[in-house]
Amino acid sequence: MDSKLYLAENVLNERRPVTYRSLSRALKVHANRAKHLLFEFHRSENAKKPQTVHATYVISGFQKAPEPAPTNGHADDEDETMQSSPYLPSSMPNQDTDSASIRTAFIVLVREEDLEDAKATFQSISTIHVYSLEPTALPDLNALVDANREIAITHAQEDPLECGKQWGMIQNRNVKRRTGARPPPAAAPAAKVPAAKASKPSTESTVPAKRPFQKEVSAKTENTKSEEPKSEPSSAANSQTSSKPSSKTAPAKKGSLFSSFAKAKPKAKAPTLAEPATTSASEDVVLDDASEEEAEELFPNSTDTAAAAAAAAANREARKEREERLKKMMDDDEDEADDEEMPDVDEEPREPTPVEQPPPSKPAELKEEVTVQGGRRRGKRQVMKKKTVKDEEGYLVTREEATWESFSEDEPAPKKKPVNVPKAKAPKAAGQGNIMSFFGKK
Amino acid sequence: MAPDADTYTFLCPPSKEEQEQEPVYRAPSHYNPRSTFNLPSGAGRHYQQQYGDMYFMRLARLKPSVEQVATDAWDGLIIAGEKVRRVDRVLDVRQGELCWVAGTVYMDLPMKPNILDDLSKENFTSAPPPRRTYTDPSDPSLTQIMMEDESGRLRLTGNFLRSTQLATGAIIAALGTENANGDFEVIDIKLPDLAPQSQRWEGNAPESGLEIAGKEHGKIAFVSGLGITGTSSDTLTLELLTDYLLGYTGFSGDDKNSPSSSPSKITRLIIAGNSLGASVIADVASATASNGVAKKAQPKKYGYDASAYNASPVTQLDNFLAEILPSIPVTLMPGEKDPANFSLPQQSIHRAMFPRARAYAAPPPKADEKLEAGWFDSVTNPWEGDVEGWRLWGCSGQNVDDVLRYITIEGGDSSPDRETDSDARIRIMEAMLRWRCGVPTAPDTIWSYPYQTDDPYVIESCPHIFFAGNQPQFKTATIEGDVPLRLDGDIDMMDAADGPDAPRVRLLALPKFSETGELILVDTETLEVEVVRFEVFKGQEEQK
Repeated sequence: MDSKLYLAENVLNERRPVTYRSLSRALKVHANRAKHLLFEFHRSENAKKPQTVHATYVISGFQKAPEPAPTNGHADDEDETMQSSPYLPSSMPNQDTDSASIRTAFIVLVREEDLEDAKATFQSISTIHVYSLEPTALPDLNALVDANREIAITHAQEDPLECGKQWGMIQNRNVKRRTGARPPPAAAPAAKVPAAKASKPSTESTVPAKRPFQKEVSAKTENTKSEEPKSEPSSAANSQTSSKPSSKTAPAKKGSLFSSFAKAKPKAKAPTLAEPATTSASEDVVLDDASEEEAEELFPNSTDTAAAAAAAAANREARKEREERLKKMMDDDEDEADDEEMPDVDEEPREPTPVEQPPPSKPAELKEEVTVQGGRRRGKRQVMKKKTVKDEEGYLVTREEATWESFSEDEPAPKKKPVNVPKAKAPKAAGQGNIMSFFGKK
Repeated sequence: MAPDADTYTFLCPPSKEEQEQEPVYRAPSHYNPRSTFNLPSGAGRHYQQQYGDMYFMRLARLKPSVEQVATDAWDGLIIAGEKVRRVDRVLDVRQGELCWVAGTVYMDLPMKPNILDDLSKENFTSAPPPRRTYTDPSDPSLTQIMMEDESGRLRLTGNFLRSTQLATGAIIAALGTENANGDFEVIDIKLPDLAPQSQRWEGNAPESGLEIAGKEHGKIAFVSGLGITGTSSDTLTLELLTDYLLGYTGFSGDDKNSPSSSPSKITRLIIAGNSLGASVIADVASATASNGVAKKAQPKKYGYDASAYNASPVTQLDNFLAEILPSIPVTLMPGEKDPANFSLPQQSIHRAMFPRARAYAAPPPKADEKLEAGWFDSVTNPWEGDVEGWRLWGCSGQNVDDVLRYITIEGGDSSPDRETDSDARIRIMEAMLRWRCGVPTAPDTIWSYPYQTDDPYVIESCPHIFFAGNQPQFKTATIEGDVPLRLDGDIDMMDAADGPDAPRVRLLALPKFSETGELILVDTETLEVEVVRFEVFKGQEEQK
């Protein structure tokens, strides 16, 4: 890149200080050349229009002996001539009288307006070079430190052992560095930001990774149910969307009932197979989102890594098998529906596919109360029980009664459970299982 | 505004074509650290032992030396018609008899922390409160100097002691008589004096492939008290130091004024303690409060609040090290404020603190393999080792600071001026060498590991460079040992009156870099000292 362009962009436009080292690294030039470039830019810009660029210089050399500098140093420090030390008996007089004065070299950073003052304090000057350029005089030169720290961060990936020569670093032939231990990216001071940044790509990368698979899965499910090709790529709304075509094409009699179960069933089954609590909850979140708006499906997808993982974990065979069992169960359902619960009535009105309402006979009255205790679900549910009593006339009468029965997680989950659970559970489970929400909140 | 002078190399436009710059190579470093102060790790480290063993070992090791010196000086000496007699044990001193005896100095000072006081008050202090001095200048009579050995204790008095400075733990021989009070009137004192000094390169000559160029002058760089706080305010001079060490800035090689100041001559950087300034559990509370972020109080685990940990200083130190390590090997000693154990010898700062710099460190040692010195060597404090053939013995400054508290600095009641203070410090360093004990006041007033079978603070072999970090001001001196004229000495230098065999030690009191911005360079051939000082010119802007 052209140095003038770079300097104009950074110093004049972005109004950032540029040190010779940051220039050297950005343009990959020798540090000494960077000093020249800074000098030239400073001169040419200020020739065009004075005071546009401000410079700081580094002077190295030896200061005058009387120490005119405002710092109270000791440039004239001498080796102490130690006459009879109080610690010592007189028989040890061998104190060395090394009177050669200690030379103190100075390396001083100075603003351009102070340059002449600073030079006056020097007895002999070895070098002067431009240290940095900045748009205006810096009230606090420590701002330059930040510029240098930026170098450390942005150029952390460049191996100093390889690039050092280019920058003009003193080389060392004997350097020992452990192999295989490349210094980690120097993002430590800004750990939070890069972490958040880094996590994003990773989740994004998981999304495409699982996407095709889920598509496949959904396609598979389609195939088992019907040969109807499906254009919907949605994976989250898998069962949701699949219900639509199936409702159109499935055999008339049980089709409507089956497809309404298809919404709930795979989800009910998946938890029992793999991850009971979190997946069911998160999948329900997905379901809700999907039902609300198709366009939003990408977001819950990318957020629901837990759900994604669970979905990915369930392999296709299991799905197929489940479909089969499901169908069987549907058949059984007709017969012994009294013991089983039907899909939740509460959910039904919200379903976007109201066409296929299940037969609204018994399940309508059944209720369930679920409490979550320590990650375990306990509750009561209303079950229809056959009761045989002797009536006043001495006949045995068998009646069906709705009774409450307590259950816990251990029992085989009734198929509609997950559909209901999110009401109690969704917020917590989503917070746990979803790593993106952790970063999202900050 | 641009400076007129085109005489300076860098104040001119760049040449048109980018000429290839000749890479500068740094001279190799010959380095052989000693593991004198490495403590056994893990289960091998015990704290149940009594400290008395250390004093016993010290006396056992140094008594022969001091008695040798004393015998040479006092044997057959007749004072006022009385022949000086040698007494083996402190208890054997008879009243009114002119004699000499060797033992350990113990000083009782009014302000000295006393473990018995703490116990009797049922008040266990976690650390002794920092005191400038243990003495009470207003009442010098409260200071009692005693000499002890296995047998007992003897109080020393006499005018001679006023002109002598001693500290607890030093081994001396005293000549005098016991007076009517039972006190020992001292008329002269002998010290073990400098330990035998080996020649340069002795015992650690470099491999044949590396030539020892006599004319090639290298430099060993010392810095101390970097005081990195992690804020931007303290590190501008550190940036300049980095630039200098890496050769980006500084002196042009062809300058006649500074033929030896070229940073490429520096073969090794030794960081002598207190690299971190602020406490790592810094004012995070105030920082978050000022941010207006009402942080919910996290439940503390074992009383430790992880959110109060401020990693920034360590991170900046790591960045600094990682930046210079590709070019220069570094020896890092911990100091009082560094994340290492508090009691001496401080063990090396763990490399886990330096995620970037640790790539240059030696790999973790295998079970019982000998530890190989890494390019980045995190060492103990105090530390002993050979650099460029010279023996170095250094401490991060605790030893000097503590002995200073035993000493009444003449003329200074409360705040002695800098010159006398640093004078006193360099004298203390000299005295330590002559006592042959680098940390005499451990374990009395400096916390120390309870060594049982050895006292590593005894300086067996006199170093060529003896340094102490974190001193208020830079000071250096060269001392020479007495050339013994005796022929039966254990020191192998009987032939030379003032030849090169006399022990010669360069003392360095290293300043705090965070306050002075000074880097100390020692020539590897002549042991001459140079200072490079980094500073920011306080111009009109600050003076407004």
